[in-house]
Amino acid sequence: MKNKSVLLGLFILVAVAQIYVPASMIMEREDVLKKGKLWKFKTRPIDPNDPMRGKYITLAYENNVYKIPGDSTFFSGQEVFVVLKEDENGYSTIDKVEIDRPPADAEYVKAEIWYVNYYEDTARISIRYPFDRFYMEEYKAPEAERLYNEFSRDSTTVTYAVVKIKDGEAVLEDVVVDGVSIAEIILKEE
Amino acid sequence: MIEFGLNLIINRVTQSNPVNYFGSKGVNFVVLPEFPKDYLSSCKSFLSKVAKSFLRVLPELIGADIITTEKAEEIKRYFGDKKDRSQSRLIVIFSILGALLIGLGIILIIAHNWDELSRSTKAAFAFLPLVIGQSIGVYVLLKKADSTGWREAAAAFLFCTVGASISLISQIYNIPGNLSTFLLTWMVLCLPTVYLLRSAIASMLIIAGITYYACETSYWARNDRPSWEYWVVVALLIPHYYSLYRKNLKSNFFILLSWLIPLSITICLGTLSDHKEEFMFIAYFSWFGLSCISGDLLFSERKGIIGNAYTTIGSIGTVALLLALSFEWFWNDLSKLEMSVLPSDLMVAALISLATIGLLMWKIKYKTMKSVQFTEIIFLIFIVIFAIGFSSSVIPILAINMLVLILGLRIIWEGARKNHLGMLNYGLLIVTALIVCRFFDADISFIARGVMFVLVGAGFFAGNFLLLKKRRSHEK
Repeated sequence: MKNKSVLLGLFILVAVAQIYVPASMIMEREDVLKKGKLWKFKTRPIDPNDPMRGKYITLAYENNVYKIPGDSTFFSGQEVFVVLKEDENGYSTIDKVEIDRPPADAEYVKAEIWYVNYYEDTARISIRYPFDRFYMEEYKAPEAERLYNEFSRDSTTVTYAVVKIKDGEAVLEDVVVDGVSIAEIILKEE
Repeated sequence: MIEFGLNLIINRVTQSNPVNYFGSKGVNFVVLPEFPKDYLSSCKSFLSKVAKSFLRVLPELIGADIITTEKAEEIKRYFGDKKDRSQSRLIVIFSILGALLIGLGIILIIAHNWDELSRSTKAAFAFLPLVIGQSIGVYVLLKKADSTGWREAAAAFLFCTVGASISLISQIYNIPGNLSTFLLTWMVLCLPTVYLLRSAIASMLIIAGITYYACETSYWARNDRPSWEYWVVVALLIPHYYSLYRKNLKSNFFILLSWLIPLSITICLGTLSDHKEEFMFIAYFSWFGLSCISGDLLFSERKGIIGNAYTTIGSIGTVALLLALSFEWFWNDLSKLEMSVLPSDLMVAALISLATIGLLMWKIKYKTMKSVQFTEIIFLIFIVIFAIGFSSSVIPILAINMLVLILGLRIIWEGARKNHLGMLNYGLLIVTALIVCRFFDADISFIARGVMFVLVGAGFFAGNFLLLKKRRSHEK
């Protein structure tokens, strides 16, 4: 009987840990969504050859290249901190890329170096942001991805991702086409 | 005939060692020499009917003082146990399958990602399967702790739900995530259930998951790194594996785990490499040697391919590596290898080799020198060949080819001696594989290659024919 209670106690402890992990993920993201600063990341169409990967839209961003003169010590797959600034239209652009975490008052996001290539004595560092998937309802995602690509290619429409960022952590909130959420556009089309 | 059947059953129950009996399911029975073999199945079903009638007349036999009440109980228990064992095995299999299917089904329904639901409602639903899985776990611990079916099914379901809740939250909050971190978190969170629910299926799922983690982290990642966490998780599963070994060596769970563990280690040993892969060949040879020795020490009674996974993996692995290294590419690279510092790969190779040498010495001490198989010492020969390989590439190539040939011929000879067709053909296959490999070498003439193929083909015919002939003459 004693053995049983010990087992039960340990099992409950494990159960709490199993709940804690996803719960802490929710709390962290909710905190970013509530307290984070809103940024608009202008998107571009994805490679049309990229196969449909499931029930999410694969996003690609316009301002994701940082250029530095000469050689760079950056390498692909490296975790970096991208300091952001807003352009004249209110869309985010890269101010600089840092290896160490910037001070708390800086506006930055944790990201990964996608690849580094060199062109005319300039190193072009392409950034992969940790918000390149926008999940949607199973049947709506393929249609949304098609629309997203169409709008991104169309120079008369503006497509961007709404992202909340706090202390380097980012949460993708929505994908917007000319001020309207893509989910709403899909609903209207249906 | 009925009298014969009754006598058999009483014999089986009252004598611990009947002269000769067969059959693991249903009723065991003595086979009289004059019975033809095809008669056995009909005889078995007949005796099963006899056993049923026998159970019905037990009270009568007690009344007539032919058998005692205790003996009657023993007989009832014997037949009851047999039926229960096969039934409970089926229940365990179907419980696990059912739990896995229900778990996956619930996950798929939630993964539909209902747009009608708000973010917080979706997040709450992501916890639902997890909480159900945990509640079933508590119920099993309190009420069904002795039922293997319940424990295994609860653990399998809980395993699915832990992974599902994390990935569903990632989906709801659009987190692309890192597959390595996800897999490690999932496996670590499920590891205690192996011990708390005494579940073998959970240990198997964790081995599969953590192997995937090691491959993802150390082979496929853009910034690969050694995954030491893999070794910690495998080490933490060893006590569970050992307890299965102590309790039931013949259980299906133990046999399956005995395959999964060495297979997983074979896949993940390469993750310890730090870009001087050449030394990892020593590590792999030693690991396969270790596997062969462990197979012989742990399962000396089991000789089958399926029953003794360690020996099978060790032997096939050794042959595959030898064949791969019978080409010149490896030795040409090795003779050009430059080392400024001692590579960590060499340390890994040295550690595994020392462990294998230790186990080999232990085996020689507790068994005999004669018990050492040829495949168990190939790693030692390889270390010598490898050392020569730094200065010459010709000698190692010749030596490896000779080694494969000797190994193949030895296995053929063993197979012929033991009257074992499987072993004989395995040896012939090794020799054939060696010849096929040499077929690709351009500097051997077509005539020489042709003659070799004809000889081995003739060897296949002659070997099998002679062995079958020998068997037939024995039967007569």
